[in-house]
Order: sequence, then C-alpha cells, then structure tokens
Amino acid sequence: MGKVIGKPTPLIDAVQKVTGKAMYTDDFKFPNMVYVGLHRSPHAHAKIMSIDTSVAAAHPGIKAVITGKDIPIAFGVLPISPDETAMAVDKVRYVGEIVAAVAGETPEAARAGADLIRVSYKPIKNFITPDESLVECSEDEKIHQHTKNSKNIHKIADLSFNDPKDGIASSSFTRSVDFKFAGVTHAFTEPHSTIAVWNGDESLLVITATQVPHYLHRTLSKVLDIPLHKIQVKKPALGGGFGGKSDPFPHEMITSKLAILTNRPVKCTLTREEVFLTNHGRHPTEMTMSVGCDADGKITALDTDIVIDGGAYGSFGVVTAYYNGVLLQGPYKIDRFGFITRRVYTNKPQSGAMRGHGAVNPRYAVEVVLDMLAHDVGMDPCDFRQQNFLSENTKTVGELRITSNGIRECLETVRRKSGWDDRYGKLPNGHGLGVACGFFISGSALPIIWNRYPQTVVHAKLDFDGRIVMFSGASDIGQGSDTMLVQIAAEELGISMSRVQVEVADTKLTPVDLGSYSSRVTFMVGNAAKQAVDKIRHQIAASVGNEKSVPREAIQFADERVFTDDGKLNLTWDEAVDIAMAGRGAFVESGFYISPKLGGKFKGSGAGLSPAYSFGAFIAEVKVDPMTGQVSVIKVWGAHDCGKALNPLSVEGQIEGSIHMGLGQVVSEDMRYHNGRLLNANFWDYRIPMTLDTPEMDVTIIESNDGEGPYGAKEAGEGPIHPVLPAIGNAIYDAVGIRMTELPITPDKVLTELRKGGQQ
Amino acid sequence: MSTSSYFLPGTIAEAVSLAKAHQDDHVFYAGGTDIQLHVKQRLIKPNTIIDLTAIESLKSMSIQKKNMKLGSMVTLDQIVKNPDIRKFYPILAEAAKSIATPVIRKSATLGGNLKVSNRCSFYNQSFDWRQSVGSCLKDTGDICQVTGGLNHCYSRNVSDLVPALIALNARIMVQTSTGINEMPLIDLYVPDGLIVHTPLGVGGIITEIFTSDEPSKWWFKKLRLRKSLDFTSLTVAATVNKKDVLRVCVNGVSMAPVLVETGINDVTLEGLILQVKRACKTVDNDYMPLKYRREMISAFITDCWNTFH
Amino acid sequence: MQKVELHINGFTRTLLVNAHETLLDTLREQLNLTGTKRGCDQASCGSCTVLLDGTPVLSCITPTIRCDGHNILTIEGIGVNGHLHPVQERLASDGGLQCGFCTPGVVMTAVPFLQENPNATDEDIKEALSGNLCRCTGYKKIIQAVRHAAEDLRHG
Repeated sequence: MGKVIGKPTPLIDAVQKVTGKAMYTDDFKFPNMVYVGLHRSPHAHAKIMSIDTSVAAAHPGIKAVITGKDIPIAFGVLPISPDETAMAVDKVRYVGEIVAAVAGETPEAARAGADLIRVSYKPIKNFITPDESLVECSEDEKIHQHTKNSKNIHKIADLSFNDPKDGIASSSFTRSVDFKFAGVTHAFTEPHSTIAVWNGDESLLVITATQVPHYLHRTLSKVLDIPLHKIQVKKPALGGGFGGKSDPFPHEMITSKLAILTNRPVKCTLTREEVFLTNHGRHPTEMTMSVGCDADGKITALDTDIVIDGGAYGSFGVVTAYYNGVLLQGPYKIDRFGFITRRVYTNKPQSGAMRGHGAVNPRYAVEVVLDMLAHDVGMDPCDFRQQNFLSENTKTVGELRITSNGIRECLETVRRKSGWDDRYGKLPNGHGLGVACGFFISGSALPIIWNRYPQTVVHAKLDFDGRIVMFSGASDIGQGSDTMLVQIAAEELGISMSRVQVEVADTKLTPVDLGSYSSRVTFMVGNAAKQAVDKIRHQIAASVGNEKSVPREAIQFADERVFTDDGKLNLTWDEAVDIAMAGRGAFVESGFYISPKLGGKFKGSGAGLSPAYSFGAFIAEVKVDPMTGQVSVIKVWGAHDCGKALNPLSVEGQIEGSIHMGLGQVVSEDMRYHNGRLLNANFWDYRIPMTLDTPEMDVTIIESNDGEGPYGAKEAGEGPIHPVLPAIGNAIYDAVGIRMTELPITPDKVLTELRKGGQQ
Repeated sequence: MSTSSYFLPGTIAEAVSLAKAHQDDHVFYAGGTDIQLHVKQRLIKPNTIIDLTAIESLKSMSIQKKNMKLGSMVTLDQIVKNPDIRKFYPILAEAAKSIATPVIRKSATLGGNLKVSNRCSFYNQSFDWRQSVGSCLKDTGDICQVTGGLNHCYSRNVSDLVPALIALNARIMVQTSTGINEMPLIDLYVPDGLIVHTPLGVGGIITEIFTSDEPSKWWFKKLRLRKSLDFTSLTVAATVNKKDVLRVCVNGVSMAPVLVETGINDVTLEGLILQVKRACKTVDNDYMPLKYRREMISAFITDCWNTFH
Repeated sequence: MQKVELHINGFTRTLLVNAHETLLDTLREQLNLTGTKRGCDQASCGSCTVLLDGTPVLSCITPTIRCDGHNILTIEGIGVNGHLHPVQERLASDGGLQCGFCTPGVVMTAVPFLQENPNATDEDIKEALSGNLCRCTGYKKIIQAVRHAAEDLRHG
C-alpha cells in the first residue's frame, strides 16, 4: 500500500489558506444583508421582570427585535438534556446570557439597537462555586427546575467494580490526593459566526462555523419548527473548533429567526469577548483521586470522587460526567475501580466538550498519584507504569474492548529519546523530567441519538471527466478530514489526488456524518470512505473485466492506469472510466460505518465504549525559577499510537497542537470570575502560550495497525493532550520536589509550595 | 463616534495650536496602539484626534556615550534595533524589547509609552462588563471596585520605558502654546490613578526625551507570565553611575513609578526594599496575586542588589 | 466622514471613512478583501496583520484615515502572478497551518521579517512571530516553514 496513505501530505486547501482565499463564515456577504446585535444579561442569576424593546425597535436601521419568548423551544446537543433556549425566557442564568437580539442595517446600528433594549431584572441568589450548588436551596432559587433534591446537581454518574474502596484500604501503598482545576476554554482564532438566509421557497440556508452540521440541522428544525427537509446547514472553512463549536448555539437560532422575520440574509459574528462568554470549555473540576498498589508496584485499585462545574447549561455535560471516570480504565490494568462524578449547574457560562473531553483533568490527577506511588514503592516512574499496562486485545474492568495497543512502544520511545534513565532524578535542582501516559477513544461506539442509521455515510461519485467527488458530512475543522477523503480515494483507485475533489459538510448535498467531536472522524469516516471507493473500484473492474474478458480479480489500479500484470489489459484511467460509464453514465457508490456491538450489560456500560483506543506516552523537561516560581517547559517528547498515520504531517500537527494546548492549561490559562462575571474575556488576560512560551517538541508516531481502523488508523486529535499536563506536573516534582495539585501552576503557587518545603 | 474630527499636522507648532483650539476634548495619536484599545472598550471617546505621525521633527535620534536625545515619535522598534542605544544605553533597549510584540513595537512610540494609560483589572474591560460589574472611579462611577473606597484610584502605571529612563535620570522637553519647558521625567507622574500625568500646559506635547547619564552598571527585569504581549506585573530598572549613585525605579505596582535614589554605600538592602515598598501603593488589581507581587518587589531588588555587589 | 485615497495591492482606491474606522473594517467591509482576518479586534492575536508602506501593522488598531495616501499590502497582494511567496509555499508544504485562520497574519509578519533578516535563526523567527497567536499548530511547523522559506530566499 502506501502510494498516498502514510505519506506526509499537505492539506488540499493549504494554498487557499496561505493566500487568504479560503472563505470562513464571516468572509461571506449576501446582497441586502443585515447584522445581528445581541443584548446580554448583566446578572448571573435573575428573573426577567420585563423587556422593553420599543426604543430599540425605533432606532434608525433596526429591522427586527426578538426576545426569548419568540424562540422558546428548548434544545441541547444531547437529547437527554435539552435545557437551554435561544434567549433567556423567564430568567437569566449567567452574566452574558443572551436576552434579546436585533437585526440592524449595519453592525454599528445593530450594536446601538441592542444597547437600547431595556430589561428589568429581579436578582436571584447566585451559585458561583460548585460547593454552593451541591447543597440544598429553595425551589425558587434553583438554577434549573428539573434538578432533584433541591440541589443544583445536573447529573451524577457513577460506576463501581469489585469494591474499589476496600481495594484501596487493603493495599500496601495508597495515596489519596485532592486536586483542583480551573476552567479553560478552546480559544480558537476564528470567532463564532453564522449567516442565515430565508429562501423564497421557505427553506432555510445556514452557513455557520460548526463542527456538527447534523446536530444543528436537527436542532434548527426543532426550535424553529421548520421541516428537516427544508433546512440546509453548510460549514465553510472553519478556524478551529476543539469542541467549542460542537453544539448547536443560541446565536444560530437567533440568526435564523431574524432571517425569517426580516426576509433578508442575516449575519452574526461574535466579538472575542462574546466568544469567551459562549465558552463550552473544559469543566472546572475538583476531585479526590485515590489509588492503591501492592509492594511490587502493581496497581490494585482506583477510586475517585469528582465534582465538575457545568456552568449554566448542559451541553455535553452528561457525557463529560461519565468520561471523567470511565476513561481512567486505561492505559493501566485496574481490577478494582470506581468513580462518582457530580456535575453541578452554576451561574457561569456553561462548560462543554473540550479537546480530551472530561478525561484530561482526571488523567492529570491519576498520573501524579501514580508518580507518588512509584516513589513510595521505590520504583522508577517509567518502570512502574510499564509493568501495569493493559495488553492488547483485552478488556478493561468496565468491559471497554481494547484491541490494538502500542503503549509499550510509546513509553520506550520517549524514555529513550529523552535520556530518561541517565537524567531522571539526576538533574540539578530546579531542573527536572516527568512522565505520564494516557489513552482515548476513537469516537464513541454509541451515537448520541438512537436510530438505526450508520454513524457516517460517504458517497463517491464517478463521472465522465474522470473525476471522483467524495460527498461526506464530515467537518474539516483544520484537522484535515477533507484531505483524508481525497487520500483514500486516490489510494484505492490508483489515481492522483488532483483527480479527487470533495463536497463536504452540507446537509442538503452530503450524507450525514455525526460531526467532528470525540475523535471519530478518521476512524469512522475513513472506513466509510474506503468502503465507498472500494465499491467504485469494484464497479469499474467489473465493467472493464466484462468488456475486455479479463478476470476481475487480476485487474489493478495504479499510476492512473487500469491493467493486468500480464499486459492483456492496459488502459488509462480515463479509458477505464469510459467503459464503466457505458450505458449508465455517472454513478455513485455508498460506504458507511457502524460500530460493532460492544460493552457490558450494566447501566452506564455504554460510556467510553469505542471501536478502538489510541495510546500515548509523554515526557516533559522543565526548569523552575526559584526566585519567581516561574515554570519553563523546555522540551516535550511525545509518542502517540494512532494505529496508522494516514497523513503523518497532520498527525504530527495534532500532537504538537495538543502539547501546546496542554501546556497552556498547566502554566497560564484559566477562566477567572468575579461574582460570576468573567474577568479575562480577551487574549491579553486569557494567556495562551505564544511562540516564546512554547517548548521544543519531539513527536513520534507509533503505529499499532488497528484491525478495524481504515488502513489501521485510530485517532490523534485528542489523545495526545492527556499525558502532557501530568508530564509537566511530574517534571516539576523532579525539579524542585513539590507536588502541584492545583492548575494552572502559576508562579505564586509554586513559591507557596516551595516554602512549605515540598510535599512528601 | 462617527462625528469625530481628525487632523494630521505637519509641525509641532501646528499640533500645539490644534490642541489649544480643542483644549477640552482632543487626544494625540502617536502609535495609537494604547489609545485604540481604550476606544474599542468604550473607555474613551475622542472627539478630536490630532495625529502626530507626520511630524518628522519628532522622530530624531541622537545617541552618544553621555548623551541621548530621542524624539517622542521614535518607535519602540527603532530603540530596540539602534546599535548606539544597545551600546551606550542597553537598559533602554532591553526595556523596549520587553514591550508587547515585534509588530506592535513598529507602531508604538516612545512618547506613547511615556503617556500609556494606567491599568486596572476592573477598569480595562469592555463597556458591557463595566455596566454589569459597576463602573469605577476611573470610569464614570463613584467607587473603586477593587478597594471599595470612594476617594482614591489605584490603577497602575505599566510603562516599561519609564522606569528605565528614570533610572537614567532622563528629562523631557515639552512644547506648549506658550513656549518650551523642560522637566525631569519623573515629575510627569502623579501617584493618583485618576490624574496619572502632570498636566503639561495648554496644548502640551512631549517633544524630546534626553539624558546625559553614564551608568557603570544596569539591571532590568519585568515580571509577567508570558514572554510576549503581557503587560507588566512589576518592572524594576536600576543603574549605578560612576559616582556610586544608585537609582532604583519600580513600576507596575503603584499609580506612579517609584524611585529610590541613594548612594549605593549609604543604604542596606533591607533599607532599600523598605523604602520602595513604603512608596508603592499596591492593591489587588492585576492578574498576578497581590501578595506575590509584593514578594517579587523584594526578590527583584535583592537580585538587583546581588548583581551590583 | 473624510475622503481617503489608499494604494492597496498596487491599485488606488478612493473611499469615505470616519475617523474611527479601522483599516481592518475598511478592508473587510468596504473593499471585500476578506483575506485579512478579525481574530480579536484588539491587537492581541496578529490575525489582522497587513503591511503599511512595507511595515507590518495590526489593521484592527490602525485608523484608516491615517493611511490616506499610503501603500497597503494585504495577503491578497502576496504571491501574485501565479507564484506563491516562499513563506506561503513552505507553510503549505510543511504543515505550517491547520485551520488556516491565523495564516494570513503569519504570512504578513514573516514576509517583511525575512526581507529585513535574511539570515534569521529559529530564535529570531520565534521572536518575530511572538505576536501571532496560533491555537492549532503549537508553532513548531510554522517556525520550520519560515526557516525553510529563508533558505529558499537565500538560494534565490
């Protein structure tokens, strides 16, 4: 194999992007277009007593004004928790929640109009910290009516296997440590943007920066009461998602509604501050992580108690609650295992899915605790991990099916490349190394919406011009899924990539793909694409074989030719296409993917199930400045088992990007609040590492060749981030002997711990 | 907002006369990098803009061993790259290099940095933010949102060039409608978060910054989380001259830069730290915690002291 | 409102602008040159970088009115006549972009930088790009691409 697959391949839209020609949502303009202005709540929790839109409506240039009651149908990305509305209906639940919206002739008019909306509120008790939400309050005060027991708890997820508490109590060595994590957010460079057009035939076109055109399609239909077949959602070039564009959004409902009301195209692009207020980022988390091991360093049990701060609405939160726990079942074998996660509502911008989804914070906690246990037992942290790994082709305690597993090679690789054995524990004071491992799903085996459809369908079309067009709902968010489609077609049909084009992420034109989240696209869409293209090849071979009296099995496709080894058949691609089309013209073949039936028979067994898991090991080298407490990450070595790198350039890019994003959460990023109001809703004060803050990176792709992945491929978009954070945390321990249990690890916290003399 | 007038004078005299004519509501645009952020957050709403970018006489640079004269419209990038500044006044090049980003430094000016607005985490926020949290003394409100007080604003001076220049005993030339004045740079700063800068007289423009200092030692450090973009949480600039006079200037932790000038042998480290800390009115209005910043004042001065001894 | 004359990518345009309109607004909204991106609108991400008389500036904080009579080069003016600039070629070929949103800003920063610093080291490149926020790449392949572009330019 390997004409195209496995070769570093520039993205098919790279030239468009470097020349500024790639069209992102805000780049589009429609004739007679109007602009959205959003009026947002200044209160964290308040009843809306009245809204006066008259002054706004009378302002020059304002074409329409709407409030919550104009779009009251609730929605949410998970059918099991539809708890938000396009605008606040009876009350507001966070500072920044949208209360009303206007359509204005210009962005300035829209802003002025939105500012003229008068709302009177009656503040309700705020619930800002999770502690406040865990205790009883009055029914009037509850953030959402549907929560039980007079508390603001959204969801409790828990599983327990083989009495882990007893397992911990009876272990030779145990550690039980509290951790705290600030919220972080995706902070992609392209702000949310949506354009809606109401067509003359009462169909709705929505061009929007989304990772999930399909879920948005369904939600628009539900919320606006428009038939599904009259809605077209298109995702153009998109400037970063990371989970922050993977929900249907209020501004998308609002823009669509205003398009219907004004009968003009409507554009809504959020300001950077509004992007921060939209959030859907990683849940702030508090947890107690308890792990036990025997005298030989074999892990005996894990038990953890987690509280995640969901903010004002649900988003993916129910799934997040499960992922916090279930994704601790690997990469180590743990036979006595349990977790409980409580997701609470608070009056802050909601948390949602962010790269690594729910498993990043617990991974930090467990890898730090394992590091502590390794020291307790007197073992090298790499050795400790090595002897505890799951094997391939096994099941975890919660019956997650592990197939291909390259974790051992991952750890050996970074151990060797970093000079771990010569340097760990031996560097001068202030300089240290740390190691951590992780694993992640390649898409969820169970879809969010229960039906009998595949999880993705890809159509491949062949026409007289010898062109293959791949139709897929898959959303390229910069990770290169469009390029993957082209690579697969070129590979299987033996043609140049320039013969293949894509039509993607258009709910009218392209078959459904569930979306770019939970790292499902390479595995699922790749398989479907391969199946579709294989059928095209099969069809061409059948037609050609028939016409030329050559056995179908002997026909090969390579170098833009269709031929047999003995030379009896020797056609150009175009000649073969010509034959294949005779009598029927252009044809389309369909490929799809459905996950195998997996999992145990207990409640909650579905969470964390995946047809394949990625694995990874990372080592970080840090220096700690004893005067200021500042942590500099010098270098990170990463080895990630992605099964097979269909495009090594893209896979490396994902690992490198994950290192950068993980670094940010450890050293400098946090969502800060003052009485529920976000303090740092801009890039000056929400501190993402810039070039000078980012370490040297050495990334290695490990290929365990998964039996079910396309060409053996598994995910690489989220898995790499998990080990990065604890590798840095553990490196700080090696450097200066302190255990940092609160993220971000800011210089003041380091100094405080140094003064305490380091935790033993 | 769209009713503002814009002027592009070609000479200092023209600029001064425009400022005089629009005494109550003009702003000078130098690089515009600081002002524009305030305009976008709706903190200021300039009705008359006097753009200084076309006045060539404000861009002169003359640097020798004991004499540096820089026009106020010299860019930070020019300061970073000038080989004579790097040779004779490296503390200034170091300070300039620490500011913002390379592209911003190509527009940002010396004069603009001297006049940079004081900052506070409750003031430098968008209009909507301030509406919801409440406006403060520096904005249109009656209360300091940080301290709860009613009379004093503790917004911080965040210039990095200023402490370096004060450590160099710099002076400034100011042209007003009545003539040209000269004053020590440090006198430009008022330890009051509302006033910030000493009024310069009718139509006053800073035209030149100069020093004839010849430091034998220098030290500069800026405390911030990232290595680019971030405003300072503490900047310390210090020089020792040939007469063993130590000048330590601390900025970013008080409403105005704080200078301690003393014979280096006439003070102990502890005494120096105490003097500085007493003069700094530091409150919790920055990204980094208050206690930490106060600790870092001691740490920086100690490190500086050890370097000099 | 004031009339201004802008020489953009080699073509002169006459426009009406108010004193507060930024060059970014003018480029994207009046001139439909959407290659220059609005990432933050407050000078903190570099996505809006363009060249003003050959010098990179952040167009989101540059008043259009002060550009009257001046030369502006945007991403649409780089690599014309069918040839990409080596910075563009290398970003594309080396994986120096993923979502591509920060990319025009990176190009407009790196191109004048390499002109002034043909022998730039990796450290120099990192420093030069320290105002360009990228959330996708972790910067490694961007720096590598600019390094390769510098080599390409040195070898003509």
